[in-house]
Amino acid sequence: MSVRARRTLVLAAAFLALVLAAAGAGGLRAATRPNAEQVAQGLTCQCGCGLTVANCNMPTCSFSVPTRTHIQELIDQGKSQVEIIGFYRRKFGEKVLSSPTTEGFNLFAWITPFGALLIGVGLIIFTAHRWRRVPNSSSPEPAPPPSDAPAFDPELRRKLAEDLRKGG
Amino acid sequence: MPDLGRLALAIALLLAIYSIGSNVYGARRSHPEFIASARHALWAMCAMVTIAVVALWTGLLTSDFSLEYVASYSSTTLPTAYKFTALWGGQQGSLLFWTWLLSIFTSIAAFLNRRRNQEIAPYAMAVLAGVAIFFLGMLNFVTRPFDLMAVIPAQGTDLNPLLQNYWMAIHPPSLYTGYVSATVPFAFGAAALLTGKLDDTWIRTTRRWAIFSWFFLTLGNLFGARWAYEVLGWGGYWAWDPVENAAFMPWLVMTAYLHSVMIQERKDMLKVWNLALIGLAFSLTIFGTFITRSGVISSVHSFTQSGLGPYFLGFLIVVVSGYTGLLIFRAKALHSPAEFESYLSREAAFLFNNLMLIGIAFAVFWGTIFPVLSEAVRGVKITVGPPFFNRVAGPLALGLIFLMGVGPLIAWRRTTASNLVKSFAAPAIAGVATGVIALAAGLRAWYVLTAFSLAAFVLGTIVVEFRRGVGARRHMLAETAPKALINLVAKNNRRYGGYIIHIGVIVAFVGIVGSSFFKTEVKKSVREGQSFSIGAYQLRYLGLSAFENAHLETATARLEVSRGGRVVTEMAPAKLFYKREQQPATKVAIRSTPFADLYIVLAGLDQNGQATFEVFLTPLVFWLWAGGLLMAIGTVVVMWPNVRERAAIAVAVRGAAPVSIAGDPAPGQ
Repeated sequence: MSVRARRTLVLAAAFLALVLAAAGAGGLRAATRPNAEQVAQGLTCQCGCGLTVANCNMPTCSFSVPTRTHIQELIDQGKSQVEIIGFYRRKFGEKVLSSPTTEGFNLFAWITPFGALLIGVGLIIFTAHRWRRVPNSSSPEPAPPPSDAPAFDPELRRKLAEDLRKGG
Repeated sequence: MPDLGRLALAIALLLAIYSIGSNVYGARRSHPEFIASARHALWAMCAMVTIAVVALWTGLLTSDFSLEYVASYSSTTLPTAYKFTALWGGQQGSLLFWTWLLSIFTSIAAFLNRRRNQEIAPYAMAVLAGVAIFFLGMLNFVTRPFDLMAVIPAQGTDLNPLLQNYWMAIHPPSLYTGYVSATVPFAFGAAALLTGKLDDTWIRTTRRWAIFSWFFLTLGNLFGARWAYEVLGWGGYWAWDPVENAAFMPWLVMTAYLHSVMIQERKDMLKVWNLALIGLAFSLTIFGTFITRSGVISSVHSFTQSGLGPYFLGFLIVVVSGYTGLLIFRAKALHSPAEFESYLSREAAFLFNNLMLIGIAFAVFWGTIFPVLSEAVRGVKITVGPPFFNRVAGPLALGLIFLMGVGPLIAWRRTTASNLVKSFAAPAIAGVATGVIALAAGLRAWYVLTAFSLAAFVLGTIVVEFRRGVGARRHMLAETAPKALINLVAKNNRRYGGYIIHIGVIVAFVGIVGSSFFKTEVKKSVREGQSFSIGAYQLRYLGLSAFENAHLETATARLEVSRGGRVVTEMAPAKLFYKREQQPATKVAIRSTPFADLYIVLAGLDQNGQATFEVFLTPLVFWLWAGGLLMAIGTVVVMWPNVRERAAIAVAVRGAAPVSIAGDPAPGQ
């Protein structure tokens, strides 16, 4: 692979990592209008169960049950997801959020996985570069032909011949 | 019985210690009789642990409340089936169960290697015995299952109601089987490092163990998800709880390992990486146990305040540092003349597949431990929950799915651009067409569109592979299409079984995406005879019936379910109240179809006869379980004995020239 091609690959990998990070930061929400469950997923139940307000299953939970009702009331009043979660953060502190904020030290939570991925891509490129050898005169192993092609790859032919020999 | 159990565990510990010394001495001094003696000691250890398990089961089944464990996790009113499963319902019992599985797998491995792998097997057995010593040490000195009560109570505390469910009867055993069987390939990998016999003998010897472990990790995770779906009553199946994460991480690493060993088998590359992966997989099983039992990280699961954390952390540090030290020590010997020609090659696809799998595992690990880091650095306790994991792991999963499609159709060494276009044209068209149809159908979420398109693309590549193989057989052997398909899979079970697993993964992935993005929820309070609706369903509350026995009280609501004016079924969600535990629980009612699950929770009852229902309509979740079933079927096909492969292994382990079995490989080969 030429230097230019390798540079292109590195740039493409970096671009991919950025896109993935942006996608992660942007969230995977299907809809822009909040529903009660979406908002409740953003809050951690404070009863000690360790689950989100949406997932706490205790029928008589003193936190999740009234909070779910309150969330629905706030949505009905036209509050956005950010506003509702902000309200609870002001009231209970950061511990009530079900995911880290994107500021200060918490930013590491979001960046590190994608940074590690980028390092992994770099390591693969570095290692592959060390492994690379000048291709010899033999042609590359042919890629499998398309399904409607009459010829078959040598591997398949060898296996079939072996099967035939064994009476398969 | 308690005395017998205690004695058996003490003898088991001594036998494990003896087997290490005897194995190592026998191997170093070439005394086969010592190795045989060590093997017998391991079998005797297994027998002793079995006696301890039987002793505890006897205590549970006879409600012997003189045993603290029985008094804590059983009662006279507990149904017999759950007295049986209470063995793994508590701290000490579950550790005993773990140790029992370990002793069984160690015995099987000792038996299978009694006449082969003479160079590394004794060391592998010593490593297995070393792991057993840790667990037996815990059971003998730290968390004893046969401790007695100072005062014998008339009644036990009972098993946690959430564990009184048939999925809980099979979820922990499956997961533990997956965890514990990973110890065998780890032990052989460690033995290869200890002895310096670093060819792929250890991989060939333990390939089935690794698949076996992966199979049960898959089942264990799925059964756990199903348990959460049916028992916890929130309409979901995965909450990214630390303990769920702890079970998911080894699965991801084992998946990476099962793919990367193919490169070593085929190209003699990635020796260090494969050894590192199996070490990581085993370490993560111990890490998971550490999380579950340490209380360091908050979790919905039990055992978290057990105080065993420091012991598991210490063991984890010993394992990781010792294994890493061995890897560094053997680094030079592990160097192999690797060759890499192009990024458009199967090797590259496998490398990036490994990167994605390990990337997801790392993201999950990072999210799991970040609250501890935050508290240590900022002094602020935070929560890392589902939104984080969905946003971080979600995009990586798309990359992984894409590579699942690319890997099988791309050639080793390098692929020309024209071949690439020819191979991928049809699957790519299928993928794009699916996206366009989904867009036309009104879907707008970019993740869903991408996920469904990629799923179609991958399924397309698998169809192309099957079609090509069947076509080849029909062309050369004049077989009918069904016969060609059956023979194709039967004679290349590793490869085509792998494809079936891939189909299962895609089907499950579609189920996960559909159920995550399109779930709708309704909460309604109604009186008898009143109706409400969700989606196309109308639900009419018919009334309530009560039932009581010595163990629990049950209030069951009956709902008539109609669709388009036609009654389709009657459903019966219930509220349970466990008397011993004084704890309420829910019994959800589920109507499952390939299109969507109707999921009803009886959330509350008031004095005026009004019942409150929480109802979820979850599209496509059916396919998550169907995909799991396909993955299980595919794994059975992969593991099915293959005469050619067995012959190759037999020749290889007898010390003859390496024999390639790459002619019958898993997907991607």
